[in-house]
Amino acid sequence: MTAVTVAPDTVAGIASHVHEARERREALRIAGAGHWLDAGRPTSASSILSLQAVTGIVDYNPGDLTLTARAGTSLETIARAAAAEQQWLALDPFGAPSGTLGATVATASAGPLAFAFGTPRDNVLGLEIVTGDGRTIRSGGRVVKNVAGFDLTRLFTGSWGTLGVITEVTVRLRALPEVDDTLAISIDEHPDTLGTLLVHLRTAAIAPLAMELVNAPLAHLLGLAERTVLLIRLGGNADSVRAQRAALGFAGNLATAPASVWSALRACEPEHAMVVRISMLPSLLADCWMAACDATRVDGGAPAALVHGTLERGVVRCIVPEPSPEAVDRVIAACGAIPGTVIFERLPGPAWPRVPDALRGRLGPRVRQAFDPDGILNPGILGATT
Amino acid sequence: MSHPLSSALREIVGARALLDRPSELLAYGADGLPTYNRPPTLAVFPETRDALVKVVRLLAREGCPFVPRGAGTGLSAGALAEADAVIIGLNRLTAILSIDPVNRLAVVEPGAVNATISRAAARHALHYAPDPSSQTACTIGGNIAENSGGPHCLKYGVTLNHVAALEVILPDGEMVTLGNANGECDGYDLLGAFIGSEGCFGIALEVTVRLSRNPEAVRTMLADFMALDAGARATSAIIARGIVPAALEMMDGPTIRAVEASIYAAGYPADADAVLLIELDGLAAGMDADVREVERICLECGARAVRIARDEAERARLWQGRKKAFGAMGRVAPSLVVQDAVIPRTKLPDVLRAIHGIAERWDIQVCNVFHAGDGNLHPNIGFDGRDAEQTDRVHHAMREIMRACVDAGGTITGEHGVGLDKLEYMPLIFSPDSLDAQCRLRDVFDPAHRANPGKVVPVHACREWRMAPAAR
Repeated sequence: MTAVTVAPDTVAGIASHVHEARERREALRIAGAGHWLDAGRPTSASSILSLQAVTGIVDYNPGDLTLTARAGTSLETIARAAAAEQQWLALDPFGAPSGTLGATVATASAGPLAFAFGTPRDNVLGLEIVTGDGRTIRSGGRVVKNVAGFDLTRLFTGSWGTLGVITEVTVRLRALPEVDDTLAISIDEHPDTLGTLLVHLRTAAIAPLAMELVNAPLAHLLGLAERTVLLIRLGGNADSVRAQRAALGFAGNLATAPASVWSALRACEPEHAMVVRISMLPSLLADCWMAACDATRVDGGAPAALVHGTLERGVVRCIVPEPSPEAVDRVIAACGAIPGTVIFERLPGPAWPRVPDALRGRLGPRVRQAFDPDGILNPGILGATT
Repeated sequence: MSHPLSSALREIVGARALLDRPSELLAYGADGLPTYNRPPTLAVFPETRDALVKVVRLLAREGCPFVPRGAGTGLSAGALAEADAVIIGLNRLTAILSIDPVNRLAVVEPGAVNATISRAAARHALHYAPDPSSQTACTIGGNIAENSGGPHCLKYGVTLNHVAALEVILPDGEMVTLGNANGECDGYDLLGAFIGSEGCFGIALEVTVRLSRNPEAVRTMLADFMALDAGARATSAIIARGIVPAALEMMDGPTIRAVEASIYAAGYPADADAVLLIELDGLAAGMDADVREVERICLECGARAVRIARDEAERARLWQGRKKAFGAMGRVAPSLVVQDAVIPRTKLPDVLRAIHGIAERWDIQVCNVFHAGDGNLHPNIGFDGRDAEQTDRVHHAMREIMRACVDAGGTITGEHGVGLDKLEYMPLIFSPDSLDAQCRLRDVFDPAHRANPGKVVPVHACREWRMAPAAR
């Protein structure tokens, strides 16, 4: 898309740009670092409103474990500031570390750490937002517990820029664990074996930070043996991690993996890939995993996709690097048969009309109407009704 | 005069489930906050889901406002009915419909009492984590309305983090499912928007909550200090050290003495100026190291002693003193008000000092018992509500306390909700445009403003008011 990009460096600049766009009935595509403009349904916007110049940490008091930053601040900037105080923002969405905090919140993107720390929904404390009518509002606050007023923070988190432009975010931080070890367990992918292993893991005396299953092609890409591998990230004090490692003895051969597998996993998704996220009851994960791997297999051969899944959350994500039209057809068809919720993150443009809108039901369109009455923000990104 | 819908509603719920005589309705004139008293003219208590749906639909047809009510343990006057609004009591819909121990989910009716869910889940070694102090009485529906917290929310999060899905009847009678118990949810987070909406967005008919594994080990410690400041510093130091206790509660001297003089006496040192009740839980391995570290930090910050509960009985006793502290204050004065502000944890020493100064200036007695770990203060003021002059002083002091908390970067309520009680403080933390945005969200769920009218957002802050600033 060749579109004009505007990048005001103040919130007032963002607000006046939205206001003017509304006067002109001109649609805007809201962007952070602009890495993933192909995520979500295609929008009809002719210009891009970038948050890239609205950057900087506004407030960080380590003793409170809260941090406020402008939306265009990169995740790596936040990670660096927090690490200096032995703290971290426990969100690891897929994509480059130069991705922005605002985009992470707007898309509610979560990675393997959601196993222990939840998604942005569980970590965002407050927002500043320019709504579709050009007004600047605040929701939530800078404290860790807050029930004052209706919860616009939750509403705007994951709304994909369709209700307002997030300009500032306050997040909860955590103390970095004293010890942070990653184990890789090669597993036999037979459905029964996998199912049994998952059951045992759910009752073992462990409290991991992440438990992520990766398929053979992805394991290979991460520099591990080319087999299905379960990555387990253990954190805590030295005694605790030692005991957890011992408690995992039943799972077979435990190899230590470098911490870098997690950053490699976040970066594994090439541009223009097809990405589908399937979620279901955690007890169905093994079946769903097999179904997802099968759906991406070419002619009964090795899976053509990179597949990974978060235990306990019951989420499986399939990444098809360079999808042929046939592969797209096959995956969309297969997803229809999977007992769970299918969220299409990225698809080739022509395929979008074949999948259901993200906004269904009666309330969604009304919410959209309430905050962006003229539908100028990211129109169409959640479906035709938006 | 009887309510115009009395007989139509009686037909739906039956005579046993409807109250319309003033003498019967007295108890519904207040919630846990006795400073507000407005008896309703009609209250119904549907005994089946079907009856509840019919009641809401009848009220929708008739354009009649209503107020959903759980156990009435709220502390913000949120479950009070104005004018002709009908109270819909949900406390007879108490069933625990199913428990899925594998996926750690429970489906319950809105009137299920919080503690009964954990009790039902106990045989699977699971529990429902949010534990408001009123958990033996308060209902899950009320918890959802308030996005309730509790001591253990420091580590485990509040109601919002533990609800997977809701089946809701909107004020106009239509049914919607919010969230998704079988996976993620596409589109807007309407479940998140609904939780904490204080009964203004509709009524949850069926609630799917997430259950948590019981911790392998629990250690409860009591540290006592001769200065409030020292306790506050220890709180910050523990969290900054990277240890997240399951709970970290603080009680000041007046609270300790009120508890120790009551039937809930917990063995707190009566001469202390502050005690911290600290609970660590999780895996057994590594726990000793954390316990030693917490003990060291407390002693370093000036604790006189740190006691570790030796057994379950001692642990329960230490907790009882905390959970029943509000009750114990009933001995101190006939009326009690409690605030619920949250401040950044590091501001605890400053704000506690400010509260002490305000109390002295207005010559009132403040007892502080609160969730120190997340900076959620509960200053309690005991007074005699029959004394107008004293009541006035209490009101002034409350306002000043609230102002001090907001000035410290805090918020006006952490878990009790706005209700009626904190309406006047909303403009302290939200601009007219921000309040208007909240009104717009309410309009999505309840365009006719019939569900719990008059609560949460001050009406004068909504659109009309904003459009005519001259009228301010």
